Amino acid sequence: MEKRGCLGILAAVLLLTGCADWRGEVQETALAPSEEQRLVIYTSHKEEVWQPIVREFEERTGIWVDVVTGGTNELLERIDGESEHPAADVMFGGGVDSLAVYADCFEPYQCSEWENIQAQYRAEDGLWTPFSSLPVVLIYNTKLLPQGRVTGWSDLLDDSLRGRVAFADPAVSGSSFTSLVTMACALGEDTEATIREFAYSLEGNELSGSGDVLTAVNNGSFWVGVTLEETALKRQEAGDSISLVYPKEGTSLVPDGSALVKEAPHGDNAKRFLDFTVSYDVQEMMAGQYRRSVRGDVACLSQLPALEELTLVDYDIPWASQNHDAVLMTWAFYLDGEEET
Amino acid sequence: MKKFLSSSFRYRLFASFLVVSLIPLLICSAMLLQIFRLRMTGDAQKEAEEHLDRVGLLLDESCQRFLQAAQSIQRDDVLTAAMLGAEEEGMVVYGRLLDATQESRNDARFDLYDSQGRWLCSTRSDSAGQDLPTNWGVLRAAAEGTLRFFPPEEAAAADAPLLQGGVPLTGDGGERIGYLLVGLCRPDLDRLLEDIIGARNDLLILSAYWRPIYCSQPSLTDSLASTLRQRLLKGEPLNSGDAEFTYTVSGHEGTGLYLVLRQPQVFNRDTMGLLYTVSLSSALICVAISILMSLTLSKQMFRPIQRLHGAIEAVARNDLDVYVPHEHDDELGQLAQRFNEMLVALKANQEQLVENQKELNEAQIRMLQAQLNPHFLCNTLDTMKWISKINKVPQVANMSTNLADILRFCVSPDEFVPLWRELEMLHSYVEIQRIRISGGFEFSVEVPPELEDCLVPKMVLQPIVENAILHGLDGVEQGAILVQARAEGERLFLSVQDNGRGLPPELEGPYARRDRELSRGHLGLYNVDTILRKHYGEGCGLYLSNVSGGTGACITAVLPLRWEEELIC
Repeated sequence: MEKRGCLGILAAVLLLTGCADWRGEVQETALAPSEEQRLVIYTSHKEEVWQPIVREFEERTGIWVDVVTGGTNELLERIDGESEHPAADVMFGGGVDSLAVYADCFEPYQCSEWENIQAQYRAEDGLWTPFSSLPVVLIYNTKLLPQGRVTGWSDLLDDSLRGRVAFADPAVSGSSFTSLVTMACALGEDTEATIREFAYSLEGNELSGSGDVLTAVNNGSFWVGVTLEETALKRQEAGDSISLVYPKEGTSLVPDGSALVKEAPHGDNAKRFLDFTVSYDVQEMMAGQYRRSVRGDVACLSQLPALEELTLVDYDIPWASQNHDAVLMTWAFYLDGEEET
Repeated sequence: MKKFLSSSFRYRLFASFLVVSLIPLLICSAMLLQIFRLRMTGDAQKEAEEHLDRVGLLLDESCQRFLQAAQSIQRDDVLTAAMLGAEEEGMVVYGRLLDATQESRNDARFDLYDSQGRWLCSTRSDSAGQDLPTNWGVLRAAAEGTLRFFPPEEAAAADAPLLQGGVPLTGDGGERIGYLLVGLCRPDLDRLLEDIIGARNDLLILSAYWRPIYCSQPSLTDSLASTLRQRLLKGEPLNSGDAEFTYTVSGHEGTGLYLVLRQPQVFNRDTMGLLYTVSLSSALICVAISILMSLTLSKQMFRPIQRLHGAIEAVARNDLDVYVPHEHDDELGQLAQRFNEMLVALKANQEQLVENQKELNEAQIRMLQAQLNPHFLCNTLDTMKWISKINKVPQVANMSTNLADILRFCVSPDEFVPLWRELEMLHSYVEIQRIRISGGFEFSVEVPPELEDCLVPKMVLQPIVENAILHGLDGVEQGAILVQARAEGERLFLSVQDNGRGLPPELEGPYARRDRELSRGHLGLYNVDTILRKHYGEGCGLYLSNVSGGTGACITAVLPLRWEEELIC
């Protein structure tokens, strides 16, 4: 009898609370966008880069974008891990050599303005859509080093700069990996020997992210750093006491890009986003922020040296992606320290 | 539990009281709580909607004013000319712009752009404006012709507007001549929304895609907006049951913005705690009252039962002098009364038994006294017999012999004897009496031989015969006494009949014991009757009658027919 009474009360309470909750839920789910109006982007870009683009995309298309941020390799591994049930639609950002490493996770897509993209940035198979061209540059602290002291990659291996070079972990930062391969190409010798020499010269001082390089050089913790042109120029404009050097042995023009995730839940919206990233409006806006557009019809800022003035190395993107893990293993192996003989 | 309940009536009573009081209380509490909650939540919801409606109205009014300002600018020839590229004096343009935006100048910052997105003039002189692309952001949206508000690209600077909306300006021919950009900075919004959202609430303004724009608490803007956006995208309810705050969302059509009002949960932990405490204390009071009631009621029931219980125990100890008092005349009172009556009856019965026992004992004592020194008497009588034989006095010798026989018979330990022995003893007695009584009398016995062996109490006939000789034959010349025995069914009838004057008619019938005092003289009959009754119970005893159709009395002893082999209790 008692038990039945208690059950009765419980049922009444549940009924009443249930009604109240149900009412609230209906109201809110009406506000949420439908699946056709959604897009999930994984991006390794800084917020100042993705935010205006994503917002403009939302305004223009009415698609709600859910942005997940992180390091390039971190996000790529996550996409790889989710390959059974993909959560992401687009990987936005990261060097195309890094994207190519995870080619299995992506679906080739040829964007609508394909013909407006400069030929050297096009992916043959359409696996990735280029976003901007990013030359690797060296930076130095103008208060600590005189102009002309650092001119190229070989200076980084100089004994006088041992332990003074800021370099981000290539396993985390895609740009750092690109820099490492560019350096190896530029110095022209045996790749492994170059990596070994450079790893030794760092004396174990490896930074955890590409953003740290500029901070560390600016505040004098390191004298010289390896980073991307766009980032360095932005910081220089913001007043950091750094100066840029395009290495005399040559730099690379590996673009960063976006890729369509295989079996993306919102594939159509993802394609619209990829088209949008290479649209004239976006490329023009982005070119105003020290990036080099991949389109032929958008000029870069006048402060930037023209492409023709740069010495370029022959950066083999397929080789870099195929040897991605090997390079990283070599790096990690030698970074631990020099064997004294 | 069941065992516990069945162990005492008191527990069962307690449990029943508990159920009867606690269940309605719990139901009431739960329902009140729920009604209260629904009511409060509903009120809060209503209040929130009212607040949001008011904010919406304010925004509408502001938009209206902004559009009016745009109209004024379009009508102003100096400004129009400036937008079309005429080289105008900066001060003049500025003055005209201030005039045109007079009504809402304090509500927002107005920037004037030409059709190429080049900045011309601003109502606030603190910072110069930048040129804006017409294919991007706010001017692109403005080009589509509607006043849509959204956050500007770089809201990092403290005095930068949080919200921007563009109004396209058209010339007389309908061609686009420029843009008016309305920027709302934090102080503007603070001023606009002052005092209309309630002191405890916070207002959050989100863009059409739920990106953060403004929050009345600046520190919350980004974190709260992204939390809410995540919840919305994941399909989770904004108001989870136990959260500290409730959120009410309303879309604003004019600007495409979302307004979110954050209210502290009406039913927060403190309120719930208070309500639960009240419910719990009520429940505790219920429990206490239940205990008290069950104790009182059970005491009322138990005291009489306890008394009865004690009385029964006393009775079991053979104490019959108990009395169960009863206060009320209810069922238990009646029970106690019946019990008392029963005790009285029992006591009377036992007293009767004791009385009977006493009487029996008296008779036995008398018998024992009669057995005193029997051998001495017997020997003396034997000696007397021989002395009288030697001295040739045969009557004395005869009497002594008979007396010795009688005496021996009397003192023999057997209580029951065969009828023939009784008759033998009777002969000895009659011999003595014949010598004693001068006239003499006739004595005859008629006993069927089959009854000679049946058992009778010793000395049962002698007193009757003695009675007949002494009283019945008193003054009769030719006396005759007849002793008869007959069996009728299970009964044995021994009658002694004389031919004397007969009995007075009032004595006829069963021997009346209550006449003990009257029958003092007839102690023999009384004794015989008593012996028979004690041995065999009521129904046996003496029966007195007069001989029908003749003279004389007949006294009959009625006793059960028993044989030697049967045990006599």
